[in-house]
Amino acid sequence: MDYGWSTELAAFRAEVKAFISEVKTPELMAELDNSMESRRVTPGLRKLRAAVDARGWVKMCWPVEFGGEGKSPWFQFILAEEFSLAGIPYGRGTASMIGPAIERFGTPAQKAKYLPGIWSGEISLALGYSEPNAGTDLASLQTAATRDGDDWVINGQKLWTSGAHVDTHVWLAARTDPDAPKHRGISMFIVPLTAPGVSVRPIWTMGGVRTNETFYEDVRIPGDALVGEPGQGWYILANALDFERVAIGDGTALVPAFSRLVSFLRDERPDRFENKVTRLRLCELELELEVMRALTLTNASIVARGDTPTMEASMAKVWTTELRYKLGSIGMDLLGREGALSPQGEGLAPLDGEMDRTYRTSPFLRFGGGTNEVQRDIVARRGLGLPR
Amino acid sequence: MDTSLDETQRLLRDSIREYLTREVPFDRIRALERDGGIDEELWRYLATSGFLGLPFAEPIGGGGSLTDLAVVLEELTARAAVIPYMETMAAAVALERHAGSDAGPVLEAVAAGRMSLSPALSNGLPGTAPPSGTFAGGRFSGTRRLVDYAQNVTHHLVSVTHNGRPALALVDRSEHGVSMTPLTQIGRTPLANVVYEDVPAEVIAGPEAVQFLRRSLPALTAIQCVGNAQQSLNMSVEYVSMRVQFGRPIGTFQAVQHHCANMATMTLGARFLAYEAVWKLDHGLADDRLVLRAKSWASKTATEVPMLAHQLHGGIGYTEEYDLHFFSRRGKDRATAWGAADECLSFLADTLAEEPAWQ
Repeated sequence: MDYGWSTELAAFRAEVKAFISEVKTPELMAELDNSMESRRVTPGLRKLRAAVDARGWVKMCWPVEFGGEGKSPWFQFILAEEFSLAGIPYGRGTASMIGPAIERFGTPAQKAKYLPGIWSGEISLALGYSEPNAGTDLASLQTAATRDGDDWVINGQKLWTSGAHVDTHVWLAARTDPDAPKHRGISMFIVPLTAPGVSVRPIWTMGGVRTNETFYEDVRIPGDALVGEPGQGWYILANALDFERVAIGDGTALVPAFSRLVSFLRDERPDRFENKVTRLRLCELELELEVMRALTLTNASIVARGDTPTMEASMAKVWTTELRYKLGSIGMDLLGREGALSPQGEGLAPLDGEMDRTYRTSPFLRFGGGTNEVQRDIVARRGLGLPR
Repeated sequence: MDTSLDETQRLLRDSIREYLTREVPFDRIRALERDGGIDEELWRYLATSGFLGLPFAEPIGGGGSLTDLAVVLEELTARAAVIPYMETMAAAVALERHAGSDAGPVLEAVAAGRMSLSPALSNGLPGTAPPSGTFAGGRFSGTRRLVDYAQNVTHHLVSVTHNGRPALALVDRSEHGVSMTPLTQIGRTPLANVVYEDVPAEVIAGPEAVQFLRRSLPALTAIQCVGNAQQSLNMSVEYVSMRVQFGRPIGTFQAVQHHCANMATMTLGARFLAYEAVWKLDHGLADDRLVLRAKSWASKTATEVPMLAHQLHGGIGYTEEYDLHFFSRRGKDRATAWGAADECLSFLADTLAEEPAWQ
């Protein structure tokens, strides 16, 4: 066992920290805020991505055969952790998932056509997975792609196509063989959102973020829009996360949010901070953040030594998303009545309404990305080996 | 960063586990709990096999790390062994690291199994008041409450004030003037209140050893908490996989599966934090808050996981003839030792302003 960092990794962390302190200006942070809200890639964000790319950090942990350097996954982990702690979204959203999938399953022509644009941000993809009758049971999806000569014709409806109003394409899972067993009849397509027959309806969420419903009516796309073999879709979906498995997602962002809550109470609401109950609640959160760190590092450690986590990723997902709710809720409570003030209000909300925003966005992460119930099933069955 | 056992640790774990499974039946634990005393035979085995000198530098000991020791301690916990291993080793390692050459004879005697130790501090948590009692002219008078294995170890390591500074003094338990009142507790391992009346006490280590001990005790007790939780979880997984009701194993029910998933998650978190605390203590990187965070979570885990294990086992797990109660009782015993969950949280709350999180 080793709970320290090697000299090489410590040096890399220092390098990333130095880079961040250089680029993290109030202007960039304001721009990033807007960019998150609008889901558009702004010039500042594009410049930041280019700078991260120029350092070779994006693909350094990818396998050599897919254009990477095959470095230890700990580099990726540290990179993601430091950017997350700094509150900067260095990642490319869906691109960091779909890019590697195209690297792995795409033809040389598809790689040349899509990858440069995906990495530069010229091409951005919304996820076309869920449907009204295929949520957690995703393999029941019914949107159909039918061959017509060299083309494919898409008919159906997708739900939670979040970026569809700003993205250029949708990464679409569609049924190409209605007679095959349900996991086997699915294929993956890259569909331009400008294609005739695609329509987008906005859906607003209580988290303040827009998502969409998308409709596909006799949408005709060329044969090369298919990625991988027909029927290989489920396999591609399941493997899309492989390269990024060690990445830590939203969890680490809770740490600076917690620190801001503590600092705000200490400096701006000292009467509350002096209260022992307040401090106990904060320390309970601190402890649960430690458990999050423990689960995340245990998972990353398994990946880093070349093994496959059976349950640790699911544990971390459940823990992190439930902790997000607790931080938001307890944070609002500790601020008292003014904890309920909205960020989009009169500018009087403590911490610019960060606790309120954390609270309102927490339901999504608990049921999204594989519901926490399914994650617990995975822990019990795949991890602990309980019978089905 | 690597959370897996290294080769040495795997060998240590396998060898002690194999011995315990073969040589220490649970009925022997039942007899010890009923009749009192410690497992002398196991203690002799630990001495002859080098486990009592494991973390001391060569040539006295085996040159192992504190983390190696923790791996052995977890195995002993998973067999509900009745021996003062944690107490003796926490005390001895504090002396080895911080008592200089004075500790040599003590360490040799501990490694050989001739000497065993129990820390007799007036309060286990860091940053608390100076020790009670009077120490002068090499003699100590005072009271130490709730001392684990006080009746069974050869020596007590008593916290005293020496030349105005915290220190540790060695007291021979068999000295005239040492009187002990045995106490019955949920873990059914030996425990006593001790009164010292003008007994010889040899100062053997100073403030650094006191500070180390106040951290090593919660950190190693956290390992014991993890051992009890893990064993409760393992027994539960095995039981629900074979117990059939309504025509199928109860482990197929989602409500049962989710209990198991939550137990495993709590335990894995506690495991990382406890071993990290031990490792960092060994490398001079631990502070009070880190150790007490680990102990607080381990305490909570050692309480909740065994209780859920009882829920999953139903009636059979509630009986004395089944073995689960060893881990639910010992788990709660260890949860209260050297910092109960809320005692640790209270310390963390009092020091929150001093050290903003994750700087």
